Amino acid sequence: MSEPAVKLENVDLTLGSGAARVHVLRNVDLSVNGGETVGLVGPSGSGKTTLLMIVAGLERIDSGRIAIAGTDYAGLGEDQLATFRGANIGFVFQSFHLMQTMTALENVAVPLELAGVDTAFDRARDMLGRVGLGERLSHYPAQMSGGEQQRVAIARALVVEPRLLIADEPTGNLDAGTGGDIADLIFQAAAEQATTLLLVTHDAVLAGRCSRTVRMDSGRLIDDKNASAAQPAPTLRTA
Amino acid sequence: MTPMPLALRLALRELRGGLRGFYVFLACIALGVAAIAGVNSVSRALTEGIAAEGRTILGGDIAFRLAQREASAAERAFLDRSGKVGALATMRAMTRRSDGAEQTLVELKAVDDAYPHAGELVLDGATPIDAALAEKGGVYGALAVPELLDRLQVGIGERIALGAIELEIRDMIRAEPDRLSDGIGFGPRLMVSLEALEATGLVRPGSLIRWTYRLALADPREAAIAALSAAAAAEFPQAGWRIRTRANASPGLTRNIERFAQFLTLVGLTALVVGGVGVANAVSSFVDLKRPAIATFKCLGASGRLILQVYMLQILIIAGLGIAIGLLIGAVLPFIAKSLLADLLPIAAAADFYPAELALALVYGLLVAIAFSLTPLGRARDLPATSLFADRATPVAVQARWFYRAAQAAALTGLAGLAALLSADKRIAFTYIGAVVVTFVILRLVAAAITLLARKTGQVRGTTLRLAVRNIHRPGALTTSVVLSLGLGLTLLVALALIDSNLRRQLTGSIAEKAPDFFFVDVQNSERDAFVAELARIAPDGAFQTVPMLRGRIAAVDGVPAAQINPREDAHWALHGDRGLTYSASLPDNSRLVSGTWWPADYDGEPLVSFEADIAEAFGLEIGDTVTVNVLGRAVTARLANTRELEWESLAINFVMVFSPNTFAGAPHAHLATLSLPDGAGETAERQVLAAVTATFPGVTSVRVKDALNAVNALIGDLAFAVRIAASLALIVSMLVLGGALAAGHRQRRQDAVILKTLGATRARLLTAFILEYGLLGMATAVFALAAGTGAAWYVVSQVMTLPFTPMAGIAAGAALIALAVTLGLGLAGTWRILSVKAAPLLRNL
Repeated sequence: MSEPAVKLENVDLTLGSGAARVHVLRNVDLSVNGGETVGLVGPSGSGKTTLLMIVAGLERIDSGRIAIAGTDYAGLGEDQLATFRGANIGFVFQSFHLMQTMTALENVAVPLELAGVDTAFDRARDMLGRVGLGERLSHYPAQMSGGEQQRVAIARALVVEPRLLIADEPTGNLDAGTGGDIADLIFQAAAEQATTLLLVTHDAVLAGRCSRTVRMDSGRLIDDKNASAAQPAPTLRTA
Repeated sequence: MTPMPLALRLALRELRGGLRGFYVFLACIALGVAAIAGVNSVSRALTEGIAAEGRTILGGDIAFRLAQREASAAERAFLDRSGKVGALATMRAMTRRSDGAEQTLVELKAVDDAYPHAGELVLDGATPIDAALAEKGGVYGALAVPELLDRLQVGIGERIALGAIELEIRDMIRAEPDRLSDGIGFGPRLMVSLEALEATGLVRPGSLIRWTYRLALADPREAAIAALSAAAAAEFPQAGWRIRTRANASPGLTRNIERFAQFLTLVGLTALVVGGVGVANAVSSFVDLKRPAIATFKCLGASGRLILQVYMLQILIIAGLGIAIGLLIGAVLPFIAKSLLADLLPIAAAADFYPAELALALVYGLLVAIAFSLTPLGRARDLPATSLFADRATPVAVQARWFYRAAQAAALTGLAGLAALLSADKRIAFTYIGAVVVTFVILRLVAAAITLLARKTGQVRGTTLRLAVRNIHRPGALTTSVVLSLGLGLTLLVALALIDSNLRRQLTGSIAEKAPDFFFVDVQNSERDAFVAELARIAPDGAFQTVPMLRGRIAAVDGVPAAQINPREDAHWALHGDRGLTYSASLPDNSRLVSGTWWPADYDGEPLVSFEADIAEAFGLEIGDTVTVNVLGRAVTARLANTRELEWESLAINFVMVFSPNTFAGAPHAHLATLSLPDGAGETAERQVLAAVTATFPGVTSVRVKDALNAVNALIGDLAFAVRIAASLALIVSMLVLGGALAAGHRQRRQDAVILKTLGATRARLLTAFILEYGLLGMATAVFALAAGTGAAWYVVSQVMTLPFTPMAGIAAGAALIALAVTLGLGLAGTWRILSVKAAPLLRNL
C-alpha cells in the first residue's frame, strides 16, 4: 500500500508569545490519500490556514509528525523544504499573488525556472493554453480581469505537475459566475493530473464538490466526512 | 549564448515596476557621490594645473633660494655653468607716497633683465618690462598691482618712495606668472629692477631678503634636474639653499589644496552616510512593498539565498544608477570650475577626467549603498510566506539575522577605514569618523528615548496633544527617521558654525586684544637705539620690546639630515623653509620652562639652544641632543639645553628656537620689535605711528597686526564658506531623507485621517495634531543637535586647537529654527492634501 499524500500524526503547534500565545493546532491527526479532494472548513481562527501552512512546509510544528508524499519534513532544512515545495506542491491563493512586473507567461514559468528546467517557457506556454489564456501570454496581471489572473495562478500551480495542490479561498475575490468557472478548472485539472487537492473555503457549495470535508474548530479536527472511497497516494517524486 | 543567471533575470523583471519609492535613494547616493567626486576632481585639476604650469610658476626648471645673502662667487659660477640663470630678490618693505600722506606694506620683487624667466608678465599698458623698470632721468621705474595704487592713492606716472629713493609707477600688473611660488603675501606686489633695489639701501646685513636663482636647463628632463640638485648639494653642502624643481613649484599650495580637499571629502562622506539613512528607509519600504512577491517566490520554491540575490541585485542596479549620476556631475565639475572660477583661482585648473578620483567616489557610494541595505535585505530573506494566506492579514515583524548586522558593521568599518587610510592627517580623520559614529549611535538612543518618553507620558491633556504624542511612539512612527536624518546634518552644521565663530572671535577678539599693535622687522643693529627712542617719543604710553633676529633653516636634528626626518604631521612646518631665530641671555616672556635648565646670563660655552616643547617632542628631541641650523650659509650646531611652552595665540614675540647669546656672536643680524599702544588708542594713533616710523626709518618694515589678522580672517572666512557649503550638502541630504520618510508615512496618515474624520475630527484638529507632532520632533532633534554639535565644537576648539571656547546663543537659536522649519515645512507640505482627501473611496477599500 503506497504512502498517503498527506500524513499528519499528533501534530501540535503553538504560535506567539506572552499574552498573545495561541494553541493553534491541538493533536491533529489527518491522512489524505493521493488524488483525494479535501475541503477544509471551519470558523475564522479554527486553524485551517495554519494547517495549510504546515502542510506546505511554511511553518514548523512543535510536536508530532508530518509527511507529504512519503517525505518526512522533520529531516529537511529550510532550503530543502523550498526545493521540495517547488517540485511537489502547487498554490492557488485568494488574492492570486501573481508577480505584477511579469507577464502571464513569465509568471507561469517561474516555478520551472526555479527548478532549473530548460523548457520552462515551452511548458508554461502549453499550460496557459490549457487554461484558455493562450492569447494572453504577454499580458501583465494589471491588464487582466480577476478571473483571468486566477487562471494564470492555477496554470502556475499546475505547471510543475505537483503531487499536492493547495487552494486557499480560490474563489473568495471573484463573483459567483467567475468563481464557478475557476472552481471547475481547479477540480478538472486536479482530476486530470491525479493531484491531491487541499481546499480551504467558506463556500459550502465549493466544499461540497470535494470528495471529503474536514471541519476544524479551535485547532482540532472535529468532523471528517469522507464522501468517496480513499485512493492510494502516488509514489513520491523528488526534485 | 549563455543564459543570464536566474537571479539577474528575476531582478530585471522585478525592476519593470519602475523606480517609484527610490527617488530619495537615488538623490542621496547621487548627491553624496557627486560631492566626493567633485571635490577630489577639482582638487586634482588644481594640483595638476600647478604641476602643468610648474615651469612658469617656478620661473625655470629648477630654482635655488638663499635667505639673507646672495650666492657666493663660487656658487654663482656653478649655477652659470649649469644653465641659463635668472636672478631675483624678494622681501617685504614699506612704501609711501612722496608727500608721506599714505604708506603701506608691500611684497617687493626685484628682477633682472631676463625677467620673466618663464611665462608672461601681463601689464595693463603693455609697456616693455625693461623700459618700465629702467632708470630715466635719475628715477627708476616700478610696476604695481592696482591694489597698491588704490591704497596709496597714486596713479600711473606718479612717484612713490621706497627706502632712500623715489620710484615712478610706469604700469599696472595684471598677471604675474610666478606669483604662486612666493607663497602667501600680506601686502600688494611692487616690482623693481635689481639696480633699483640696490639704490634703495634696503639690502643691509640681516635684512629679511630672499635671493632666488632660476635655471633653464639645456636638458630639461627630470633626470637632469635631479642630477643637478644632487650635484649642488654635494658641491655646496653648507650653502643652505632651498632647492625646488618645476615638479613641486608650489609645494605649500599643493599640500594645502590636497589637505583641504581631504577634509571636504570627509564632510562629503558625512553627507553620503546621512544619505545612507535614506537608503535604509527606501530599502525597508521596498522590502515591505515586496512582501507578497517575496512570499510568493518562497511558495514557488525559491531559496532564501536566491531571494537575497534577486533583491540585492535590484538595489545594486538602482544604486549604480545613482552612482552614475553622481559621477557624471563630479566628472564635469573641473570643467565648470575652470570656466566659472577662472578669475578667482590662482592658476588655470587642468580640467580633465580623473578616473582615480571618480573610482574613489564610486567605491564610497557602493559601500554606503551596500552597508545600509544589508539589514533590510536580510529581513527580506527571512520574511514568512504566511502573509499570503487569506486569514493572515497582519504582516509579521521580522528582524534580520545577526549575520547581516555583522556584515553591515564590516561594510561600515571598511568605509571608515578607507576614509582614514586616504587621509593625510590620520588623527583628524579618526577623530572625525569617531565623532560621526558616536553621533549616530547617540542619535539612535535619542530616538529610542523620545519614543519611550512619549509612550510613558500616558494620558496627556487634550485629544489633539494626545494624538500627536501617540503618533510619536506608535509602530511605524517617523521618530527614528526624523532624528537620525535631520539630527546628523544639523549637528555637523552647528559644530562647523561654532568652530568657525570661535576661531574668528579669537582672531578679531581676544587674540587681537592680547597681540601687539605692530611688528617692526629689519631694524638694523646700528639704528636700534635710535629706533627705540623714536618709539618712546611717538608712543610714550606704549609698551615695546626688541629682540635680535636672524633667519635660518633646520639642517639636521641630532645628526640626522632634515630631509631624512619625518616628524609628526603637525610639526612638519618647522622643517619647511626658513625659520626666525634669536638668541637671549634670559628666558623670554610668554615662555615657561618644561624641561632642562636655562643657561646663565654670562654663559660662554658650547652653543646651546632652547626648543619649543611640542615641536621638540614631535622631532623626538631630548635634552642633550644636537640641532644644526644653516644661517647665512654656515652650519651652526647647538646642544638642546631645555624646552619651553609658548603662548602662541598671544602673538607676542615667540621663536621655536632660542640660542645662547654666544652662538651668533659677530654674525650680522637685525632686530625685531613690537609696539603695543594703550587700550583705546584708535586708528588715528596707529596711522601716526606708521607714518612716523616709515618716514624716519624707511628701511624698517612695519606690519600692522590688525591688517595681518584681517587677512587671515578673510582667508578663514573663505575656507569656512567652502566647508559650510559642503556641510549644507549634508543638511540638504538630511532634508531629502526626511522628506522621503514623511512621504512613506503618508499612506498610513491618510488612512488615519479618514477614519478620524469619519469619527468626527475636524481638519483643524488634525492639522494641529500634525503640527504638534512635527514640532515636538523638530525641537527634540534641535536640542540634541545643539548639544552634540556644541560638544564636538568644544572638543575641536579647546582640545585640538587649544583655544578658549565660547558657546553662542545665536547659533543655538539658528539651529533650532532650521530644525523646526524643516520638519514642519516638509511634514506639512503633504499634510494639506491628506486633510482634503475624500473619505468614501478609501473607506470602501480599507
